[in-house]
Amino acid sequence: MVSRPPTEDELVERARRGDGAAFGTLVRDHQELAFRTAYLITRNAADAEDAAQTALVKAYSALPRFRRGAPLRPWLLAIVANEARNRLRSAARRDALTLRALHEAPLGDAAPSPEGTLLAAEERTRLLEAMEALGADDRIVLSCRYLLELGEEETAQVLSLRRGTVKSRTSRALARLRAQLGEDE
Amino acid sequence: MSGLELRLVSLGAAVDYPPTPDLASAVERSLAPQAPRRSRARPLALGFAILLAVVAGVLAFSPGARSAFLELFRLQGATVTRFEALPEVELIDFDLGEHVTREEAERRVGFELVDLGEPDAIHLRAGRVVSLVYGPSERPRLVLSQFRGAVWDGFHKKAVGTGTTIENVTVRGEPGLFVSGDEHYVMFIDGDGLVNDERTALAGNTLLWNRGPLLLRLEADVPREEALELAESVE
Repeated sequence: MVSRPPTEDELVERARRGDGAAFGTLVRDHQELAFRTAYLITRNAADAEDAAQTALVKAYSALPRFRRGAPLRPWLLAIVANEARNRLRSAARRDALTLRALHEAPLGDAAPSPEGTLLAAEERTRLLEAMEALGADDRIVLSCRYLLELGEEETAQVLSLRRGTVKSRTSRALARLRAQLGEDE
Repeated sequence: MSGLELRLVSLGAAVDYPPTPDLASAVERSLAPQAPRRSRARPLALGFAILLAVVAGVLAFSPGARSAFLELFRLQGATVTRFEALPEVELIDFDLGEHVTREEAERRVGFELVDLGEPDAIHLRAGRVVSLVYGPSERPRLVLSQFRGAVWDGFHKKAVGTGTTIENVTVRGEPGLFVSGDEHYVMFIDGDGLVNDERTALAGNTLLWNRGPLLLRLEADVPREEALELAESVE
């Protein structure tokens, strides 16, 4: 008989009872997004690793407060984002994001999707520079919504904001980004 | 989605993220139950035996070193005795950070830890502050924290009228501050050269002092002279 892998809810229950390995399995499922979230906020690999790891250990301790049946990912990412923002406040260093060389960028299908996934290298650089020129709040909300492709509701949970605030903040951040790029509405 | 939003999504795929570290294994390691704690009597007895052997060995080859080694021995013996007798203190800031091993702490902060003997637990907070906890985790007797930073003279002015008393002290020739009073916070210069303030972990007194590039912070319910003697014996 082939046993099915445990569900996320089952792993959460086991972790609540002190099963560190079960929590490790949960972390493994979300660690890439957790690290990238921390990295987009801190923009430094070492800070992002520290922030994500510290946050995940805190999350384990906080599991008794996690609402049963709720999605785990935004809850974990919220703790990671909070830790990363604390790190950002105290860090003197401010690194900038960099882009992969064009040939390493995902190329997608031979026929580009309607989103036009292939941006020219200069266009990406220009866009990234404009993002970097924004304030931290604008940059972080745009990073969550578009670079990490989190939905409005999930972004709201991750950044501990109301959904309406995410909506308005995103809209204002996009307007400021357009202004940076010298583009019209 | 507008054209700009679509371009941002495309940008997301082109960001050069560093490789994702194996967070799961690191987290599992830090959650692993601590190795059963050795009884305090044995390591102490062993420590004394080793120290005596070292003292005897060194004295045999270098009689000139006699006074220095006897002083070290006396201080360590006195420290352990007094430490055992320290009162437990209320922990007012529970966020000492994650449980780590000494090796992991040293690897992540990039400096060698100093101590007052083997601690009951080691914590790492914000990737830069290591706290050695002596005594029960809920009501420790003493917390020795260490991180890159320095004492800040401006703390005197900031503390005027706050219920905190600050006295200048010297530990092994380096400047320090003894902080006592009703309010439990400290101000210092952090590793980025910025003035920072924090709640103290324990509801006792605090001694801050420089040791090279590090700021050491000793918290315990002890008067100034006793705190200084403990600080002098940190190795």
